[in-house]
Amino acid sequence: MNEIRYVRASTPAQAVALASAEPDTAFVAGGTELTNLMRDGVQVPGLVVDVNRVAERGIEWQPGRVRIGALARMAEVARDTGVRHRLPVVSTALLASASGQVRNMASIGGNLLQRTRCWYYRDTALPCNARVPGSGCPALAGENRWHAIFGGSESCIRVHPSDLAVALTALDATVLTQGPGGARRLPIETLHRLPGDAPHRETVLEHGELVVAVEVPATAMAARSRYRKVRDRASFEFALVSVAVALELRGRTVRDVRIALGGVAPRPWRAREAEDVLRGERLTDAAVAAAGAVAVRGAVPREHNAFKLDLVSRTLAGVLGELGGGR
Amino acid sequence: MSRYVGKPLHRVDGWAKVTGQARYAADQPIPDLAYGVLVTSTIARGRIRRIDSAAALATPGVLGVYTHENLPRFAEQSPSWVPYAQTLVPMQGTEIRHGGQQVAIVVAESFEQATRAAGLVRVDYDAEQPTIGLVENLSRAYTPPDGTPGALQLRRGDPAAGLAGAAVRVEVEYRTSINHHNPIEPSATLAVWKGDDLTLYESTQSITFTQDAVARMLGLPQERVRVVTPYLGGGFGCKGFVWPHTYLTAAVARLVGRPVKLVLTRAQQYTSCGHRPASVQRLRVGAARDGRLTAITHAVTSHTSRSDIIQFNPIAATQSVYAVPHLEIASQVVEVDLGTTIATRPPSGPSNEALEMALDELSWALEMDPVALRLRNYTDVDPSAPDRPQSRFLRECYTLGAERFGWPRRRPAPGSMRRGELLVGWGMAGAQHNWHPGVAQATVRISTDGRARVTCGTQDIGTGTYTIMVQVAADGLGVRPEDVRAVLGDTRFPPAPSSSGSATATTVGMAVRAAARATREKVVGLAVADPRSPLYGAAPDEVATVDGRLFLRADPGRGESYRQVLGRHGASVEASGGADLSANAGPSYGAAFAEVQVSGVTGEVRVTRLVCAVDAGRVLNPATARSQALGGAVWAIGAALTEHTLVDRRYGRIVTANLAGYLVPVEADVPDIDVIFVDKPAPEANELGARGLGEVTATGAGAAIANAVYHATGQRVREFPITPDKVLAGWR
Repeated sequence: MNEIRYVRASTPAQAVALASAEPDTAFVAGGTELTNLMRDGVQVPGLVVDVNRVAERGIEWQPGRVRIGALARMAEVARDTGVRHRLPVVSTALLASASGQVRNMASIGGNLLQRTRCWYYRDTALPCNARVPGSGCPALAGENRWHAIFGGSESCIRVHPSDLAVALTALDATVLTQGPGGARRLPIETLHRLPGDAPHRETVLEHGELVVAVEVPATAMAARSRYRKVRDRASFEFALVSVAVALELRGRTVRDVRIALGGVAPRPWRAREAEDVLRGERLTDAAVAAAGAVAVRGAVPREHNAFKLDLVSRTLAGVLGELGGGR
Repeated sequence: MSRYVGKPLHRVDGWAKVTGQARYAADQPIPDLAYGVLVTSTIARGRIRRIDSAAALATPGVLGVYTHENLPRFAEQSPSWVPYAQTLVPMQGTEIRHGGQQVAIVVAESFEQATRAAGLVRVDYDAEQPTIGLVENLSRAYTPPDGTPGALQLRRGDPAAGLAGAAVRVEVEYRTSINHHNPIEPSATLAVWKGDDLTLYESTQSITFTQDAVARMLGLPQERVRVVTPYLGGGFGCKGFVWPHTYLTAAVARLVGRPVKLVLTRAQQYTSCGHRPASVQRLRVGAARDGRLTAITHAVTSHTSRSDIIQFNPIAATQSVYAVPHLEIASQVVEVDLGTTIATRPPSGPSNEALEMALDELSWALEMDPVALRLRNYTDVDPSAPDRPQSRFLRECYTLGAERFGWPRRRPAPGSMRRGELLVGWGMAGAQHNWHPGVAQATVRISTDGRARVTCGTQDIGTGTYTIMVQVAADGLGVRPEDVRAVLGDTRFPPAPSSSGSATATTVGMAVRAAARATREKVVGLAVADPRSPLYGAAPDEVATVDGRLFLRADPGRGESYRQVLGRHGASVEASGGADLSANAGPSYGAAFAEVQVSGVTGEVRVTRLVCAVDAGRVLNPATARSQALGGAVWAIGAALTEHTLVDRRYGRIVTANLAGYLVPVEADVPDIDVIFVDKPAPEANELGARGLGEVTATGAGAAIANAVYHATGQRVREFPITPDKVLAGWR
């Protein structure tokens, strides 16, 4: 444990100014992630900026959308009546996350910015390109059952662990930030970077840039949405594979659909080709199977995670079946 | 007289535990305490080239940094397997034999300072490529020498002929994974020196072992070492022996001249106190058409550390449960660069699960109900010890369990019990666990106020020992339980064995019984000899004692209280008693019936019902016994479905060394578990009629779950844990 300085910011601008003024800083809200990383020596900030008093915490319904403050706790959002009815994929994803205790503490902003659960990343005794650039990636030829089949590179095959981010990707949510360069609106899909040859750069956020809120379109499709998470243990575990789907049907025909996959890539993985396969088609077993096959096209499995291809296709079929009212 | 034994008395320590008043080893308020933090090796094999402690020593609050370069030699350099388990004494040289081996201890004024400094100890290694992985190294398997713990080689009859003559044969291989004990309380040592006297507050399943081992390691007479363990937050085998962090802490506390507390981190818990090795189990089972077994061969191969050759997946049930004329048991090991393997809740679990899965496969091959198959091969006599008297109520386990579960309503065809996307399966298995009682002493003292105190140098590892001691002493004396206080967990008390091998309730219970009876006799003797007593002149055996009152059996109105007798006597009365059950080891039995739901979409398996029927002799306390049975069943769910230690092959490093990576079952994985006790006394075991109970449910429920998965899906997954990927593999 290292000595750290801790400061409680009183305005967003002050938080950003404090965090961007020196190199080794970190924001803290619920603390469920940062404290673990600090205890394990994975992150060693010199200054921790507490943002619990500065960012938004409310859930604000506006015409056609909802604005969720970055400081809203996971449990608060999951039990919000509007979220449950109009964005079920969000509430089901949140309730599938972590444990009740963690959900009571962890913030929405922090959830989106949590670090990979890759055990090589989290063990400072081992190499990891994302933690120590250039040190190597033991996951490539190591214990990679949980690792990426999409979007990885020869330097990193981490998986982003957030369930919420997958759900928000299926709803085309927007992340609102405030940074040294002012306010920004980022489509959620662009928030996390693919590792490429710079795996230590995990998001597009500038140093000191603060997530202040998330805006989610409350469309007809969002109201017919669902999250399914597959895991070894029934609760309190990260996904092997997860699937978020938002679906708009006219009769049995797919008017529109959004599909995002979790547990398979360094960021929530939007399955656009699978959406294209379904859009305008009747929701038949054949169409679902075709979408499932397309959804894993281009996947790069490793020694221990090839099962994820089949699991993605199957889980997607299962979710489409549930949302389609049984097939 | 059994007024309180057999009753569901609430835990007498429950109040202290739920209100936070129970002080565990690391909770002791010791003044002037310093904190120790271990530095452990990041390589699995090789040598330390250089250790640089300068940066650590220069940080605030650091009192000392100890390494092989400045730690004195321990008195034992190649200690015996018991009580140490790990015969490698770390920090005595440069060789590294497993990942996480202790290489330095930092002692500082605060835990935070010690942790920070530990991160600054720089260790350079000459690393060698470790050998990791059982399956990858099966070609190196060999038969260890006779006497190797856990390694049994046994032959009965002519197994080849028995198999050749079988109408139906099953030949199968199962694999089980590395498991870690994961008690909620990490191992902790708090060492306090006063001159040459050492007191250790220790999280251990055996204060006796700890006293012996630490005294020997430090070259002290045993009486100079006192070990105190008032409560234990679970052990499951990883605290059953004495591991290096304990004597290392004692040694550095002496060097810094301060009391030192050292608590293993959760990650260190995976490399500092043993693990259950992976296993590959090959079984061949032959049967006649009617299901009668003709032969079983069961070969188990486990990995073992290079330092301590042990086969810690012992085969126990295969040779002793079923009437099989031809039998072969073989045990092999593969040496790998991991730490020492050790008993894990319980050691015989995986081999029994393998046997019971193979019998399930045989039942399908025979198209025979799996309960009927087991009844067909039932025997009242243990074929491996036919001369040993034994009360065996395994048949009752099958029948009571089947009835409670509703087994007769099972539709036999695999995949025939579907609920929407969920495939429902029912499976069953037998359970058997050899328990190992020992030798214990206890003392009972009853005071002038009529209250009794029972002391024993045992430990309550969370199983209810305090409560059992109170019950047995209350019955032995003839007083109310609320007038008895149990005190344990201190080597100043009469000695008792390690709380492992499901030994404690019986061994300690019998010692307490003897002590209580001896104390009662003394008090009765006082009464009948005292002219002021209404019992004056009675023969001692005419006197009964119930709920604090002594009276004549023939004339219950004639009597008085303990308090009156002792009040006149003017002093407390005390007596000791002992029990030696070491010749009475034997098996307990059970049967498990499981219902699972397997998602036909994702392959996820969830247990939805579990019935465990247990024959462990007489049940001393149905409440604490039920909790123990539940605990065993939960570990079985974990081993079968979720728990898996993963080791990186190149680095020899456990990558799942935390509770997010190593998946113990959570509430949502555990259904309501129905526990049935046959509850018939086993008179051959001891006068209490009780046998070992703690681990037996952990030897069958996993196989019942696996067998249910087959019934649900028609696919046999032969590797634990049964995770979705393995279920899906059968569907591709």
